[in-house]
Amino acid sequence: MGNKKTKSRQSSNGNRVGTGALARPAERSSTKGSHSADRNLRTYSIPDYRLEHPDFTVRQVTEKDKYGHDHVRFEVEGNLDAPVPPIRDSKYLDKRQAIEIYRWMLLNRKMETALENLYKQGKVVGGVYFGLGQEACSCASAYALDRDDWFAPMIRNQGSMLVRGFGARDIMMQYMAKAGSPTRGRNATAHFGDIEKRNMVSPISMLGDLIPVMAGVALGARLQGRNLAVMTYIGDGGQSTGVTYEGINFAAVQNLGLVLFVESNLWAYSTPSEMQYRCTDLAERAIGYGIPGVIVDGTDACQVYDAAHEAVERAHRGEGPTMIEAKMMRMKGHAIHDAADYVPKPLFEFWKKRDPIARFENYVVREKKWLTPKENQDLIAGVEAEIEAEREIAVNSPMPTPESAEGGVFCENGCHEIKPKYGMPKVKKGTAYKATEAAVHLK
Amino acid sequence: MFLTYLEAIRQGIWEEMERDPTVFCLGEDIGVYGGAFKVTDGFIDRFGPESVIDTPIAESAIVGAAFGASLTGMRPVAEFQFMDFIGCAFNQISNMVAKTHYLWGAPVPLVLRGPSGGYVHGGPFHSQNPEMWFVHNPGLKVICPATPYDAKGLIKSAIRDNNPCVFFEHKYLYRRIKEEVPAEDYVVPIGKARVAREGRHLSIITYAAMVHTALEAAETLSEEGIGLEIVDLRTVAPLDREAIAETVKKTNKVIILHEHSRTGGLAGEIAAIINEEAFDSLDGPIIRIAGLDSAIPFSPPQEQYYLPKVEDVVREARRLKAY
Repeated sequence: MGNKKTKSRQSSNGNRVGTGALARPAERSSTKGSHSADRNLRTYSIPDYRLEHPDFTVRQVTEKDKYGHDHVRFEVEGNLDAPVPPIRDSKYLDKRQAIEIYRWMLLNRKMETALENLYKQGKVVGGVYFGLGQEACSCASAYALDRDDWFAPMIRNQGSMLVRGFGARDIMMQYMAKAGSPTRGRNATAHFGDIEKRNMVSPISMLGDLIPVMAGVALGARLQGRNLAVMTYIGDGGQSTGVTYEGINFAAVQNLGLVLFVESNLWAYSTPSEMQYRCTDLAERAIGYGIPGVIVDGTDACQVYDAAHEAVERAHRGEGPTMIEAKMMRMKGHAIHDAADYVPKPLFEFWKKRDPIARFENYVVREKKWLTPKENQDLIAGVEAEIEAEREIAVNSPMPTPESAEGGVFCENGCHEIKPKYGMPKVKKGTAYKATEAAVHLK
Repeated sequence: MFLTYLEAIRQGIWEEMERDPTVFCLGEDIGVYGGAFKVTDGFIDRFGPESVIDTPIAESAIVGAAFGASLTGMRPVAEFQFMDFIGCAFNQISNMVAKTHYLWGAPVPLVLRGPSGGYVHGGPFHSQNPEMWFVHNPGLKVICPATPYDAKGLIKSAIRDNNPCVFFEHKYLYRRIKEEVPAEDYVVPIGKARVAREGRHLSIITYAAMVHTALEAAETLSEEGIGLEIVDLRTVAPLDREAIAETVKKTNKVIILHEHSRTGGLAGEIAAIINEEAFDSLDGPIIRIAGLDSAIPFSPPQEQYYLPKVEDVVREARRLKAY
């Protein structure tokens, strides 16, 4: 299995013992001397970094309209007046890093605002997908990766792509289907990649398929002698797919450094998470895979970073995958065409108070005083100027020629030289070839 | 060396793994057990468990992981226990693997290989020839060898190719076909057909196990004075258009023979190529011999009825010769 050196025994909750804060030994409810039924009852725990535990559920209700016709809508029930919790101090981030993450989050949001405007001006081909309310999850997670690590965003993780070194113009040109876009007009949105410099795998529209792919990236690197962290994301909707299971399980069995963010943003297009899965927290699924799971508040950049950092460190130590569930809400529709009328209004109000950027700004400027109000204003102005400059370049770049649809289906005529990125795998010395005499299936 | 079709493939992969340390294998039961058909028998001992990976039963994960590893410059060879099961990984192959180079410019040097085909009473889920699922996917090379020499030369070409290759091994041929194969390193080019038998009266365009069906029919027909030319495509995507046109221009009459179902089958595509490249050379209708438009039934008499047979070729060749 290629992991002999690093494979350690796992405790019964899937968390490896003694490998950092993510990996806590199982807490067993039963103790010696209790009834045999209790000894047979196994309970598990998942670390939860959150400082609040939102308590509400969404369900379908049928009402009669004024004509007496049935009408089904979603309704939320629970405590929607809870006060906004503070940001949880990071165990790892220093002042400079916190300010950088804050800036990435601002850049993420202002780029998406610019995209919304470009759409309204008719300059975007197709739709626009937003990560509004999820900027902390995108930016603070990607910020935890080392340069050689790999990642694969989903459509709402445009912030991750900025953190990893793409320009806002790259993403804008993708949306406007420009010749100068990373896919030269061939694909839209966040659907592009770069295996040379930024180590990013392009997403496809089908959900979950990136998970085994990223496991494979880690496998390839390990064969070349490197333990890399490979980060990707899946939503509470996307995790319902079969390939999600296959991918996480493959990474678990092979002990590969997958860092999987499960972005529980409550809505999969129009379907609430209550209709997507039955368990309380998706992080609980980690137990079934035999890997560590952890829950964070996805609107708290410090919690996101800390969990990502610990998972990345585990990956670098060759200790295998981690599943991080980040709780938050998708604050717009599925894409720009979707007004999200199906979302009960009180939910928007609840999560609007937990806006990740407003909370982090308050933390950095007022609570920690790492930025003076003036420095903050300058930083915001700098981000706006950068977005405006990027927008200008993107808007003024040309569309592709029709004929550029042709070519490039295959790698041919020396268009790429393929070599192992991290070094030639070691060759095992072995016996000479000998013909097989084994019996055969379906003779 | 006198090798079976299976041994030729096994030797081809073995030699590539010795030659190039970036080549590794993954799949279900391929390691300690050596694979359901023993194509990778002994590999795990020779190359180690790091390079010969027994995976969970998860075809999407196998393809996804192979794809991911290929992005780091590795050359994975992924086995499907039966090519029937490749459907489980279809999205990964069609939407991820095949489209990558066109969409975002990353090369994907990987091989997806496994046993396909009928005549072994494997039933509906162990007998299929699903190559057309992939022929209709731009970005994939689809290879279906008929002989030990070609199987070894083509598996080596597939492993060395910078593109995703789907390699269909015909399980009926695994241990039935033997021939002399050179001891020294050689490759067979992808996308090039060969003339398996020269003839002047009519052509059969076919591949994989059907090449041997056609060869047997040609013996019978030659006794009647009918000279059958047999073109073995070897690769079904990309198709060798020149070889197809050339044989039609020579014999003017053509039968297309394949094992999979008739509707939407490769014969339709080849007939269209003939129409485009050699219409004026035709002296008779293009004839298709193919499997039935149904699942492949299990019971031997039913399976035999479903699949093309030597007598089908003989009958259709006589009819076309007389046209």
